[in-house]
Amino acid sequence: MSPTTRKEPRRIKDMSLPSEQVAHVEPQDLVPLPPPYDKLEEQPRFKPLSDDSRAKLEASLDDTLCIGCPKPASKEEEERLIQAFISGLHKLFTKENNWTFLQPLTLSMEHCARCQTCVDDCPVYEESGKNEVYRPTYRSEILRRLYFKYVKPGLPGFQTFQNGGIELNWTLISRLLELSYRCTLCRRCAQSCPIGVDNGLITHEIRKLFSSEMGLTAKDLHEKGTVQQLAVGSSTGMIPVVVKDNIEFIDEDMTDRTGIKVETKWDVEGAEVLLLHNAGEILAWPDNPGCFALLLDAAGISWTMSSDLVGYDGVNYGLFYDDVQLARIAYRHFEIAKKLKVKKIVMGECGHESKALGVIADRVFQGIPRETAMTLMADIVFSGRIKFDPSRNDFPVTLHDPCNLARAMGVIEPQRKVLRYLAPRFREMHPHGVRNYCCGGGSGFAIMSQFNFQDWRLQINGRRKFRQILEAFQDTDLTSNDPKYVCAPCSNCKGQIRDLFDYYGAKEKSGLHYGGLVELVVNAMVDLKEPFINWEIM
Amino acid sequence: MTVFHILAYASLLVLGAGVIARILRLASMPLHLRWELYPVPHERGRAGYGGSRLEEVNWWTKSHRADHVTELRTMLMEILLLKGVWEHNRPLWLSTFTLHFGLYLLIGEAALLVLGGLLILTGGALPQALGAVILALAWAGYLMGLAGSVLMLGRRLFDPKLRAFNSSGHLFNLLLLGAIHATGLLWIAGDPLYISRLTGFLAGLAAPAGPFNLPMLGYWHVGLVLFFFVYFPFTHMTHAFVKYFTYHNVRWEDEPNLPGSRLQEKIVRLESQAPTWAAPHIGADGKKTWVDIVTKTGEEKS
Repeated sequence: MSPTTRKEPRRIKDMSLPSEQVAHVEPQDLVPLPPPYDKLEEQPRFKPLSDDSRAKLEASLDDTLCIGCPKPASKEEEERLIQAFISGLHKLFTKENNWTFLQPLTLSMEHCARCQTCVDDCPVYEESGKNEVYRPTYRSEILRRLYFKYVKPGLPGFQTFQNGGIELNWTLISRLLELSYRCTLCRRCAQSCPIGVDNGLITHEIRKLFSSEMGLTAKDLHEKGTVQQLAVGSSTGMIPVVVKDNIEFIDEDMTDRTGIKVETKWDVEGAEVLLLHNAGEILAWPDNPGCFALLLDAAGISWTMSSDLVGYDGVNYGLFYDDVQLARIAYRHFEIAKKLKVKKIVMGECGHESKALGVIADRVFQGIPRETAMTLMADIVFSGRIKFDPSRNDFPVTLHDPCNLARAMGVIEPQRKVLRYLAPRFREMHPHGVRNYCCGGGSGFAIMSQFNFQDWRLQINGRRKFRQILEAFQDTDLTSNDPKYVCAPCSNCKGQIRDLFDYYGAKEKSGLHYGGLVELVVNAMVDLKEPFINWEIM
Repeated sequence: MTVFHILAYASLLVLGAGVIARILRLASMPLHLRWELYPVPHERGRAGYGGSRLEEVNWWTKSHRADHVTELRTMLMEILLLKGVWEHNRPLWLSTFTLHFGLYLLIGEAALLVLGGLLILTGGALPQALGAVILALAWAGYLMGLAGSVLMLGRRLFDPKLRAFNSSGHLFNLLLLGAIHATGLLWIAGDPLYISRLTGFLAGLAAPAGPFNLPMLGYWHVGLVLFFFVYFPFTHMTHAFVKYFTYHNVRWEDEPNLPGSRLQEKIVRLESQAPTWAAPHIGADGKKTWVDIVTKTGEEKS
C-alpha cells in the first residue's frame, strides 16, 4: 500500500485517478484522548483489510469498507454501472423521482461558495487529523461537479470554468459510494453554513441515488434492515410471536425486580398511547421497554403496543438511504395506529425513529399525531402523579443529545428538566443541545461492523463523543470504576456508546455505564423498594 | 442612442431575467419533506437554545405563534454581519465581511444615485447632503470592496483549506469584483464630477439623449459593472438572494401537516407521480404512482 500524503490538500479531480488507496489515517494523526486513554500503545489496533477483500472488492478509498462493492467482472459490466449511475444522477433532479428533496438538493448543489466554513464542525474530519477526504464538502463537491457536467451543463466549458471539472469513471463512482458512508448525516456542518448549504443532505442524496437506481447500499440498512422489517416485522428479525414472548419475559423480570406488577398491553383499541419502541431495545436493553411499561402504568396512562407486522418496531432505516423504503415503513406505522384508533403515537427512546415518523413522514402521510418519549416523560415526572426520590440517582450523570432529537427536531429541554430534577449530579457535555456532537453511530453506522468498519467508526467516528464523555466526568476519578452514567435516550446512540465503552474498556477502567432516560426516572420512583439500576448487570 | 446604451439595456435585461428565472425555478419546485434544522429563530421563547414546539406534550393541540422579530433579527445579523462565518470560520471573516459589506454600501450608493437621477430627470437638483452621503458610501464601498476582494483572493490562493476547492471561476469572480472596485476607486479619486456624471449616466439611460459624459475610467468601471450584471445570474454568487430559499424554505420551514392543512392537497398531487427508479426493490415501471409503490409493494424479500 502506498497511501498519498495525508494532510496535503487533495484535488477533487484526483478521485478519478486509479491508485491503490487515496486516504490513510495513522494512529498518531488522531486527536488524542484524555487520560487514562492517552497512551497510543494501549489503544486497540486498527485491523487492516484482508488481501482477499482488497482483491475482490472496491477498496481504494481508505483503510476500511462499509459497502464492499464487488469489482465489476468485465469492462461491459463496468460500462453498464457507469451508465446506471448517470441515469440515476439525472433522476435525482426530476420531480417525479425525487420530489421529496428536489428543492433543498438543488439549492445546495448550485449555491455553495466553497468557503469551507463548515469543515471544522465535522467531527469525522477533525478527529481523523483533518484528513482531506473526510471533509464534509469533499463528497458534495464531487457530486456538484458531476451535476454541472451531466445534468446542467449550460454553455460548453462554462460550468467547468465556474465549478471545476471531473472525469466520471468507475473508480470515481465506487469511491463516491464508499465515501457516502463516511458521514453520519448529523448535519452539524449544515448548521454552520452561512448560505444554508447542507452537505448532510447531499450525502443522503448520493446514498439514495446508489440505492434507488443501482441497488447499491449497506446490507445492514437494506437487506437486514428495511427489507427484513417489511417482510417479517422487525429489522431484528423478530416475528410477532417472538416479540410477545420476549416482552412477557421482560414483564416478569421487571415484576420480580421491582415488586410492582408489570404487564404490557397489546393491541388495545382506543388507547391513548401507542408506544412504538425501536425493537432493538427489546433484545439489547430490555430494561428500557420494561421501565416504560412500569412508568406508564404508574402514571395511569392508557397505552398499548401493537403486535402487527412492523407495528412493534419503530426502526426506519429508510431515513438514511432510500425515501421509498422510508415511506413504506412509515405508512405501516400510520395504518396500524389508525386501525387501533389510538389518540397518539409515542415514539420510544430512539432518535432516528422520532425524526422519521415525527417529522419526515409528516409530509408523506397525514395521520395520527406523534410525540417523542421525552415530552411524555417530562409531563409524567412533573405531573405529581408519581413520587420520586432524586437521591437514588446520586451518581455522576451526563446527557448525550441524539442528533435527530436535538438538531433535527428541537427537542432539547424536556429530558434536561427531568435530569436536573432527578439526577442531582447531572452535568452537561460541551457543546451540547442543538450543537451536540454525533455519537459516531448515526445514519445506521451503529449497527455496522462488517470488514473492519467497526474500527473506523469507533476510532475515528466516535472519537469526539468518547472524548466529550471523558471530559464531562473530569471532576471524577476516571481511573476508578465508581459508576458514572451516560444517559443516551436513543437506541442507535446506545449501541455506539456500548461499543465505544467495550472497545476502550471504559466500564472496567473508568466505571462508565450508559442507559436511557426512563431507567433513571424509574430508579428514582419511591414506590420501588430498592433502586432499580444495578451496576453489576448493566 | 449609442452602442453603450444598447449594451447597458441588454445587461440590465439579462440581470433581471436571470434573477427572475432563478427565483421562479426555485419557487416552483415541489414541496419537499420536512428538513428543518434547529435552532429555528421563529420558535417563540425557544430559539435561544434551539428548542421547538415538539417539546410540548400534545403539541398539536397548542396554539403556535411565530416570533418574527427574532427571526428578523437573526436574518439581519446573518446578512449584514455574516454571523455564521464569524462563529464558524473566524480566519475568513475579515476578508469576506469586508467584501460583502463593501458591496452593500455600493448597493446603497446605487439606490441613492437612482434617486438622484430621478430628481434630475424631473427638473430638480441633487441636494448637497445626498451628494455627500453618496460620496461617503462610494468611497467606503470601493475601499472595502477592493480590500475584501484582495484579501479573499489571497485566502483562495494561499490558504490550503480553500485552495483545493478553487475553480478558475472562483478566482475570476474575485478579480472581476476587485477590478470593479479598483476602477471605481480610481475614478472617484480623480474626478470631482463623479456624482454628477453617474446621475447623468442614469438619467441618460432613462431618457436617451446622446452619448454619455463619462471619462475613460468611468466607461471601464460602468462597463465592468454591466458585464457583472450579465455574468452574475449564472454563478453561485446568486446565493445573495437564494439564501431566502435555503433559510425560509428549508432550514426554518417547520410547518406541520395537520388535518385541514393546505399541505395535504399538494402532497397527494406529488404522490400521484410515477417514478422511474431502476433498482428492483423500488418496483417502479414509470406507470405505477409513488403512493402505489409505497402502499402496495415492498414486503417481498429482495
